[in-house]
Amino acid sequence: MRLLRELTRRKLRTTLTIVGITIGIWALVVFSSMANQINALVGMGTEFYADKITVTDGEAFGTSPMRLTDADAIAGVEGVAAVDPRVEIMWEADPAVGFSVPDTLNGGIPGADAGFESFQLELATGRTLTVEDAGRVVVLGSSLAREHAAVAGDSIEIRGETFEVIGTLQPTLTAPDTTGYIPLSTAQQLYITDLPPLVAESLVADELVNQVIAYPEEAADEAAVASAIEARVTNSATMTGAEFQETVGATTLIFNAIIIGVAAISLIVGGLSVINTMAMSVAERTREIGIKRAIGGSRGRIIRELVTEAGVIGLIGGVLGLGLGGIVVVVANEAGRAGGTVLFDLTPVTAAFAIGFSTILGMLAGVIPAWSAARLDPVSALRYE
Amino acid sequence: MALLEGTNLRKTYRMSRRTSVEALRGVDVSIDAGEMVAIMGPSGSGKSTLMHLLGLLHAPDQADPSPHLRIAGADATTLSDRERTHIRARTMGFVFQSFNLVPTLTAEENVALAAEYAGASRGPARTAAREALASVGLADRAGHRPMELSGGEQQRVAIARALVNAPTMVLADEPTGNLDSARATEVLGLLRRFNEERGHAVLIVTHDAEVGATCDRIIRMRDGLIVSDERSVPTAQREPAEHPVPQRPPSEPAIALGV
Repeated sequence: MRLLRELTRRKLRTTLTIVGITIGIWALVVFSSMANQINALVGMGTEFYADKITVTDGEAFGTSPMRLTDADAIAGVEGVAAVDPRVEIMWEADPAVGFSVPDTLNGGIPGADAGFESFQLELATGRTLTVEDAGRVVVLGSSLAREHAAVAGDSIEIRGETFEVIGTLQPTLTAPDTTGYIPLSTAQQLYITDLPPLVAESLVADELVNQVIAYPEEAADEAAVASAIEARVTNSATMTGAEFQETVGATTLIFNAIIIGVAAISLIVGGLSVINTMAMSVAERTREIGIKRAIGGSRGRIIRELVTEAGVIGLIGGVLGLGLGGIVVVVANEAGRAGGTVLFDLTPVTAAFAIGFSTILGMLAGVIPAWSAARLDPVSALRYE
Repeated sequence: MALLEGTNLRKTYRMSRRTSVEALRGVDVSIDAGEMVAIMGPSGSGKSTLMHLLGLLHAPDQADPSPHLRIAGADATTLSDRERTHIRARTMGFVFQSFNLVPTLTAEENVALAAEYAGASRGPARTAAREALASVGLADRAGHRPMELSGGEQQRVAIARALVNAPTMVLADEPTGNLDSARATEVLGLLRRFNEERGHAVLIVTHDAEVGATCDRIIRMRDGLIVSDERSVPTAQREPAEHPVPQRPPSEPAIALGV
C-alpha cells in the first residue's frame, strides 16, 4: 500500500512510464490477436483441405471448364476411393475486387464423397442438400447467412433470381463460411452463362464441372495418386492437402514474421523506455537512496524496493494495455463481422502473456538502475543534488 | 571501555586521476558511552569525514600504521557493506544538516522506515514511529509530508527517526546549520535532553561555537588532524524538558557507566 501511495505521489513520472508500457502492451495484444486469428484460419483451412486432392483444369488457374467424364476418368485411377465433381463460381456474376475472401456458389452431387470427407459441416438451421433437390435452392455458409440475415425458409436473391434458403451452416472459419451450396445442375446453368459465348456454344451445360475433388484410399500415397491423376487427365492440375499447407503455410510464416517483428519492435522500444524512465527515476532519487542507505537500508532491500516498484508499474501498464487492446479487438471484430472479416482473436494465453510479460519487463528494466543505485556510496548519494 | 574507538584513521579522496584530498591524516579518537561530543573545525578540516568513519558510512584507508576502529569493543575496521549497514540500522541514529527525509513519505512513514530497516515488522514499526514523534512533540504532524513541515519540524522528525531504534549513539552532521537560532536552540535542546534521559552518546559535527558550548566535550580539528580535545565544565543546571518524554530504561552502555 505504501508503494502505491509512493507511486501516486510521483504522478507525472509514473503516469508517463505507465503510458509507455500501456502502448507497447496494447500493440502486443492487438498484433498477437491478429496472429491468433490468422493461425486459426490457416489451421481450419489445413483441416479443410486435408485428405483430399483437388483437381482443376491446368490451363487457366482452375477457371476453365472440365467435363463430367473427367471425373469418371479420375475415379478410375488406382488409389482413388471416391470423386466429387463440382462447379465453383463467384457469387456475383461480376464480383467486386476486394481483399476479403470472395463469396462463392458451389454445386455438387450430395453424397458423392461417399463418406470420405473428414471435414464435417454442421447445420445452424434447416437441412442439407439431397440428390432430389433441384432448381433455385441454396444452403448458406455462416458468413453469407449473417450477411443476408437469412435462415432456413427465407428467400434471397442471387444473380437476379430468387433462391429458397433450405439451410444455413455453423461457422468453420474457412471456405464454407463464404460459400452458398446449390444443386450441381443449377450451378452448371449459372456457370455456362459466365463463360464467353464462343466457348459456351461448344459446351453442354449438364456435362460441365470445373473442379473434381478426389478422395484417395486410406492406404494410398496422396502425392502418388495426384501424379497418377495428372497423367490420366490431360491438362489437369492437382493440389493435395500437403501442398495447400505448404503454399499457405509459407505465406502465413511471412505474415507471422511481420506481425511478430512489429510486436517485438514495439516491445523493445517499450522496454528501453521503461529502462530509461527507471534510470531517470533512480537518478532523480539518488539522494533519497542515500538517505535510506545511511539510516540502515541494506543494498538488497533498496534493490527489492525499486524492482518491486518497477514491477508494479509494469503490471499496471500491462493491465491497461490489455484493457485497451481488448476494446480495440472487440470493437474491430464487431465492425468487421458485418463485412464478414473477423480480424482478431484475443485468447486467454495472449492476455496472460501480455500481463506477465509487462510485469517481468518492468522488473527487468528496474534491476540495472536499482543495482547501480544500491551500489552508490551513501555519503556521495547524500551530497547529490 | 569506550563506545567508539579509532586509531590511525586516515582517509584520502581521489577527486580525479591527478588530484586527491587527504581528508584525514591519522586521527586517534575515543568516545565514551553517553557522552555528548562536538567535533568542530573550519570547512575541509576533516570533521565530517571523521563522523562518516565513526558512523560506518565510509571505511578508513588501509595504510601503515594500520587503522583500527572498535565499536562497543568489537572490531569494525574491515566489515562488509552488509555488516556495516546492519550496525548502522540497529545501533546508530543519524541527523543531517538538510534533514534528509524521504520526500514522498509522511513523517510517520519516514520514522517507521528506520524501524523497519532495523528489523521491526510494519505494525510495531508504526507504533514505535508514533511514540518517537510524540516524544519530539510532533504527534499531530505524523500524517504530514516533509514539504508540509517547517525546517524545525523536519529536523525534529529526523531526530525522532534517529531515536526510534533506541540507538547507543546519535551522529549529527551540522544539525542546526539550516535553522534559525530559535529552531536551532530547540533542536539542540532535544538532542541534549534525549542524551540525558536515554543515555546514548551524541556526536555533533558543527562549526557553530554555541552548539559546541552545549556539549560535554569539544574535539577541534584542522587540516585532517585533531588539534585539541577539551572537556567543558559540566553544566550544573540544564533547561527543563519542554515535552513529556515516555520513560525508557537507559541503554546498556549507559547502565555500565552509571549515567
